[in-house]
Amino acid sequence: MADNDTPLIDELEKGPWPSYIKEIKRAAKKNAAAKDLLGVQELSFQERITHWKHGGIVGVTGYGAGVIGRYVDAPDKFPAVEMFHTMRINQPAGWFYTTDALRKICDIWEKYGSGLTNFHGSTGDIILLGTNTKSLQPCFDELTEAGFDLGGSGSALRTISCCVGPARCEYSCIDTLDICANLTQEFQDEIHRPRWPYKFKIKISGCPNDGVAAIARADFTIIGTWHDTLRIDQDEVRKYVKNGFDIRGLVTEKCPTKALAWDDKELKLNLRTADCVRCMHCINKMPKALRPGVDRGATILIGGKAPIIKGAYLSWVLVPFMKMEPPYDEAKVLLRKIWEWWDENGRSRERIAELIERMGLKTFLRAVDIKPVPQMVFKPRANPYVFFD
Amino acid sequence: MTEGVTEELKDKILKYLGTVSKAKNRDVARALEIDKAIVDKGIAELAKEDKIEYIYLGTSYIQLKQK
Repeated sequence: MADNDTPLIDELEKGPWPSYIKEIKRAAKKNAAAKDLLGVQELSFQERITHWKHGGIVGVTGYGAGVIGRYVDAPDKFPAVEMFHTMRINQPAGWFYTTDALRKICDIWEKYGSGLTNFHGSTGDIILLGTNTKSLQPCFDELTEAGFDLGGSGSALRTISCCVGPARCEYSCIDTLDICANLTQEFQDEIHRPRWPYKFKIKISGCPNDGVAAIARADFTIIGTWHDTLRIDQDEVRKYVKNGFDIRGLVTEKCPTKALAWDDKELKLNLRTADCVRCMHCINKMPKALRPGVDRGATILIGGKAPIIKGAYLSWVLVPFMKMEPPYDEAKVLLRKIWEWWDENGRSRERIAELIERMGLKTFLRAVDIKPVPQMVFKPRANPYVFFD
Repeated sequence: MTEGVTEELKDKILKYLGTVSKAKNRDVARALEIDKAIVDKGIAELAKEDKIEYIYLGTSYIQLKQK
């Protein structure tokens, strides 16, 4: 393929932002699959139709997840990408790597695949793009030798992901990294061998800022929070105000429940703890003066998902406060009860949220032995892809 | 061998899969009238022994390993 054979995708190289076309062209200099990939993309742009098929039987021995079969529908035109399977590799909790580990992954992938990667996929995994069926097993063998394992795909527990949590963030109310690693080890079988009606995702955010957008993306959402009261350093609050900080306009009037009030005479920020919904807005605005409480744990939510059978859902509260301490047995017991009920009652490709809506929240709560509480606001809920200014 | 999983169970699973083109784990458990958690473990062992394989057709299924 000549350099000027791809006028449509070449448009994507223009502009001040990174370009995946530019990167694939770099890879194409030493890899035939990357070169054909450009051709497939150009053809798709010309015809406005995908030329990829996915699914079928591909995998490594003992695993039913972690490899997504992909095939081009015009192998005569693009023989180097006749098979272009994706491998999903379970990322370390919080996405921390040594450069040595990254080099190992890249060396293995240049040996067995196209050399193209995606750090990271939306589920969180390391995505290795493009290999053929016969290379899967030896590639997997070398990756496991290097200490890596496949992630989830298909109707399995998807690779669990979390924010960086206490490793870098003072707001984190739970040890997201340990929870992620612990649950990943506990549920290896559920990740590697699909057994359910459809996919199931667990994501863990250390605080209500929800750095991994768990509320919009995870069937089982764990969000760190606190049970006691917001900690207020009144001296620091006064310093903010003295330096011209608009505490009313930026904090108290933006508090969603008006739990905070600024007293001009006493020069004091007052909090009605019972009204605080722990949204983090005030802490984000005045990080030197406000901090989460000390009685920390997590809120468990259920049912976040993107549109499939039904539209997008935000997850809603299932357990308002749960202590999250190793070995996290309470969360594990709850997860197993949820899976058992979903597995028994779910239709093919039906996510847990859709099943709860079909059968009723009351039926679900009874099945998982949870008593209804006011925090379980199921509706109104809004499409997470609509933003309000 | 995993607790609760016997050679007899694995034989039953393989025999059932011989009668269908593909199945979900739940279909196997219902057909054999055996607790699904045990069937899941049996299927996992059969996958590790390379006697069954997974297929993705919009959702995941299992089937006998194609030789």
